[in-house]
Amino acid sequence: MIMYSNAQYVASSGLNVGINVEINGIMSFVPLDPANTDYANMMALVAAGELTIAESE
Amino acid sequence: MSTLKATNLQNASSATTNIVLNTDGTITTGANMTVTGTAVMSSPYTMRNKIINGAMVIDQRNAGASVTQSTSLTYVTDRFAIVGDVASKYTAQQSSTAPSGFINSLLFTSLSSYTVGASESFTLRHYVEGLNIPDLSWGTASASTVTLSFWVRSSLTGTFGGSVSNSAQDRFYVFSYSISAANTWEQKTITIAGDTTGTWLTTNGIGIRLFWSLGTGATQSGTSGSWGSTLYRSATGATSVVGTNGATFYITGVQLERGTIATPFEYRNYQQELAMCQRYYAKSYDVTTVPGTQVFAGEFLMQTFTNNNLYFPVRYPVTMRTDPTLTFYPGYGAGASPTAGNFWNYGTSANVASNVGRTGTTGYSIEKNTGSASATIGWQYTASAEL
Repeated sequence: MIMYSNAQYVASSGLNVGINVEINGIMSFVPLDPANTDYANMMALVAAGELTIAESE
Repeated sequence: MSTLKATNLQNASSATTNIVLNTDGTITTGANMTVTGTAVMSSPYTMRNKIINGAMVIDQRNAGASVTQSTSLTYVTDRFAIVGDVASKYTAQQSSTAPSGFINSLLFTSLSSYTVGASESFTLRHYVEGLNIPDLSWGTASASTVTLSFWVRSSLTGTFGGSVSNSAQDRFYVFSYSISAANTWEQKTITIAGDTTGTWLTTNGIGIRLFWSLGTGATQSGTSGSWGSTLYRSATGATSVVGTNGATFYITGVQLERGTIATPFEYRNYQQELAMCQRYYAKSYDVTTVPGTQVFAGEFLMQTFTNNNLYFPVRYPVTMRTDPTLTFYPGYGAGASPTAGNFWNYGTSANVASNVGRTGTTGYSIEKNTGSASATIGWQYTASAEL
């Protein structure tokens, strides 16, 4: 089970372009692409109420 | 219309049989064959192996270092991943122990004598992208037979198992094979009739899942040799590698091809195999450098200017399967234990947060503003578009 934590949207020019998130403790950038395995996993966790993604700063 | 029936064909001047007509329809010739016209084959002669890095030569993530199995899917050699329902039951690493004609294998070593629970499994996995299997026509009445072949060697003997599944994991085919002699390389061949039902993706998603069991409980073990909808990872009664402390299991020469025959392993040239791996995992580091290592080689440097956004484009070595997950590591100046997710500011000798502006399957761009102080920023990256 891959662990996702501390997720926050990243914005550029006012639009969200991805999510900064710790994946098994390693900070990474996940793009907003449904074919990306991490993004798909995260969206499933969000739908299940098991992950919250903070808005971009 | 008449039929000429013969078993052997022999030139009038030849001392021995030249061509044998076998009862199964195959033809055996003891010498070369020249085709003046066009040779038309039902299976491709080149690029027939649907497995990438089947010879375990490419190891971009670990460069031969040992990886301890966890409950998260973890890649060892490129395209081959390990996982188990309980952590730390075995290690895996690229090995230079290999059968003749190969230079590498993937070695598994059991860390304990673990009794696998009924609903647990410990597996090696390889996922074939759907875009690479439309010729199989799986999920239709025209589904093609495939042949899976691989070399194995283990300190254990007996029956071992694995399975084949689709993306949704609602179609499974269990296979088994035996290892008859301990610590001896043996090639295994498994012919699988194509699945005529189920949904088999031909997109950039998972086309085929392959599992080799290193220990599977009864709930996920089934009878080999037929398709079904029950989730199985192995064959009933198969040997458990994790059940014996110190047991070893090696695998290499993995090939999955259309047809009923295991042809010789398709050894693609190194550059071609690396490029195929980079569709799923790429990095700025040299191929043999483990990400996070303090090295100059491959590091990107950009110079920011006071109070201005700087945009820096990076192209991947090849077009990736999908927009990849990016992990950044600060540059050389950060020392031997860099904190992922950062760049290195050589002006202040401190980490600065990474900042991606745009991404895609061909590259990404960095967007950085260091405020009132211009600076040199350094970083390395990994990009993962694994299935």
